[in-house]
Amino acid sequence: MGGSKMKILVVDDDLHIQRLYKDELTEEGYEIVVAANGAEAMEMFENENPDLVTLDIRLPDVDGIHLLRQMKEKKPKLPIIMSTAYDYRDDFSVWASEAYIVKSSDLAELKSMIKKLLIKE
Amino acid sequence: MDNSYAAEIRKNLENILENFPDAVVTFDLNGTVTSWNRGAEKMYGFSKEETVGGFLPFVPGFLMLAEREKIDRIRNGDVFKDFETIRQKKDGTILDVSLTLSPVKDSEGMIVGAICVSRDISEKKRIEKELVKRNQELSRLFFISSAMRGTLELDRLLRMILTAVTMSDGLGFNRAILFLVDDNKDLLKGAMGVGPASSEEAFQIWSRLSLEKKTLTDIMRNIETGPLRKDSFLDKLSLNMEIPLSEETILTMTFKERRSFNVRDVREEPLSDFVLTQQLATQAYAVAPLISRDKVIGVIWVDNQFNRRPIVEEDMRFLSAFSNQVASVVESARLFEQVALAEQELENIFESISDKVFFTTKDYVIKKINKAVSERLGKPPEEIIGKKCYEVFHNRREPRRKCPHHKTVAAGKPFVGELEEPYLGGTFLTSSSPIFDSIGEFIGTVNVMRDITDIKKLQEQLVMKQRMAALGEVAARVAHDIRNPLVSIGGFARRLEKNLEGNLKEYAEIIAREVAGLEKILGEILAYVRGVSLEKRMVNIDSLVEEVTAVMKSELEEKRIVFVKDLHAAFEIHVDPSNVREAILNILSNAIHAIGNNGTITVKTYVKKGCAVIEVKDTGCGISEEVLPFIFDPFYTTKGSGSTGLGLTITHKIIEKHNGRIEVESKPHAGSTFRVFLPSK
Repeated sequence: MGGSKMKILVVDDDLHIQRLYKDELTEEGYEIVVAANGAEAMEMFENENPDLVTLDIRLPDVDGIHLLRQMKEKKPKLPIIMSTAYDYRDDFSVWASEAYIVKSSDLAELKSMIKKLLIKE
Repeated sequence: MDNSYAAEIRKNLENILENFPDAVVTFDLNGTVTSWNRGAEKMYGFSKEETVGGFLPFVPGFLMLAEREKIDRIRNGDVFKDFETIRQKKDGTILDVSLTLSPVKDSEGMIVGAICVSRDISEKKRIEKELVKRNQELSRLFFISSAMRGTLELDRLLRMILTAVTMSDGLGFNRAILFLVDDNKDLLKGAMGVGPASSEEAFQIWSRLSLEKKTLTDIMRNIETGPLRKDSFLDKLSLNMEIPLSEETILTMTFKERRSFNVRDVREEPLSDFVLTQQLATQAYAVAPLISRDKVIGVIWVDNQFNRRPIVEEDMRFLSAFSNQVASVVESARLFEQVALAEQELENIFESISDKVFFTTKDYVIKKINKAVSERLGKPPEEIIGKKCYEVFHNRREPRRKCPHHKTVAAGKPFVGELEEPYLGGTFLTSSSPIFDSIGEFIGTVNVMRDITDIKKLQEQLVMKQRMAALGEVAARVAHDIRNPLVSIGGFARRLEKNLEGNLKEYAEIIAREVAGLEKILGEILAYVRGVSLEKRMVNIDSLVEEVTAVMKSELEEKRIVFVKDLHAAFEIHVDPSNVREAILNILSNAIHAIGNNGTITVKTYVKKGCAVIEVKDTGCGISEEVLPFIFDPFYTTKGSGSTGLGLTITHKIIEKHNGRIEVESKPHAGSTFRVFLPSK
């Protein structure tokens, strides 16, 4: 892995899922920062300089899609994985997220997706 | 004394003769005039002095011989009474006369000459000739109008009338136009015109007619049976003529005052019709009303533009007589035409109604159908009319109890009802009404059938859509509220499983597995509610089927199911591969479930009519007739809990989204065959 760990920003208002993602992905060797709403997410995005973001679409203060656009405007090349409880694929396929995943208790797919995107990086 | 007495008598007689109002002439047997009275002077123009002593001066040269014969017969004592002949006056004119010739005897009784009393009968002769002419006219009129009564076609009739008006052995006018009253618009409208367009044409026509020697009878027959055209110069001109009845002109006056007019010079008649003088250059014309049953239905206009013959009283009399004759015929033809038109309109409407309309007798025999019926049944009318309606519509040997038509026949009352007819493959809304004859006897029915199959389908789809939309709204919330906790429970259970040992590890593994199952069900439900979205690309159908079957391999082996592949659709079609994969997977899962253990599944692919066909056949339990119509309905399942009842619904939806279709053939205990048709374009 080397000295500097890859940093992932996990944005989810469900604190258990935050925790699950954090624990699982830390074990994978990533450094995890979390945010529970849009405002926090943007703050982390600016300050923590993550290498990848997993972004829930449904957030209490702001639409995840809105957030995605804001982040893409600032860092167009930053990989973002949309992660959601409800399959919205039709509705935002126009938006330029790198990947899309429906949340699952089995994180294998998410992990392989992250690995792929970070290698490209 | 005797002599003087005789002389006096003679003198008296001569006096009487002299003053007798009739012409009295005596002559001897040589024809030499012996006396010539004043009446003779007056009638023939010769004086006594000119005639006495000479030969009878009033005998025309060509009658001289006949006259001599007459004198011979007088010599024999013959008498001629009221003998009609002709005589010549001094000025040469011929007189029609009636003569009475008697012999004159001398004192011994010898015939020595003759006395001739002549009466001028020219006036009588003139009247006679006129009577003959009138008689001819009347018979001509009778002929024309009887010829016309033979036709009920208005245009043909009008052409006959106008031809009769313009033929030389008809009324003999040069041109004629018939105007009919348009009651709706309050105007006189030109209906037809007959006559030459110009003097040149007039000359041509007249010389041709005199060569062909066609009689009025021939020409009438031609019009009655030959082709009818309405495109002559005068036709076109007259068809454009419209004179509002509110205007004050000769034409409208003819209508209003119900009498004919004879305009001898249009320049001196302030009410001359501008349209006629302008467009027809007419200089003198006559108009007569057509009066039928006390109503003016039109007017006939005539003129003699080309031969400039003045229209005289006799022409007017004849024109009026003619108009009166034909008016009623025109009126009947017009009424007939209206009726025929209305009938045609009704027929057209009947034929063009998109609903199926048919008439039956009270014995269910079909009497009349419209086009929609024969189109729906795919049979020509002659194969439908005369048959029993229940044979034609239901393919049965007796009426259907539920059929509204049958109810109408049974009760003699109108019925409306919806009926699903498997024979015709559709649902029909039928309205049936009884027909009664004039004495109220039930004689048959009229029926209107509307195919509501599509409407029903649409209604069902609409209801389904509304249900789904409502479902969609809650789905997003449900997803969030249920999936998130499931992810946490399942995710942490997996973490526990990784870090525990023994029973505890096993417990955690059970939690994780159960949660995974729940997540899968949730996914299916949400996928159905969300609808299917397509990401199409070119895919080889055979390889797609291979991929799916590869996934199933272990399950098939486990259940000892023989799997037969027969793939012949190695071409690419434009589909969403993951969707189609899911569709096939669902069908295969169903097949496996239907078999349970031990059986055969055959998957075939082939190409048919521009479609790739994927056929999945199993030897499983089959689907009962009651269940078959519902297998694609959402949440319908026979597999008990553990199934969402969405598999085939999703399959159906995916195929529908690809503009394809799915067919099922199934019999209980004999297995099922599913066929998916995917269009190559």
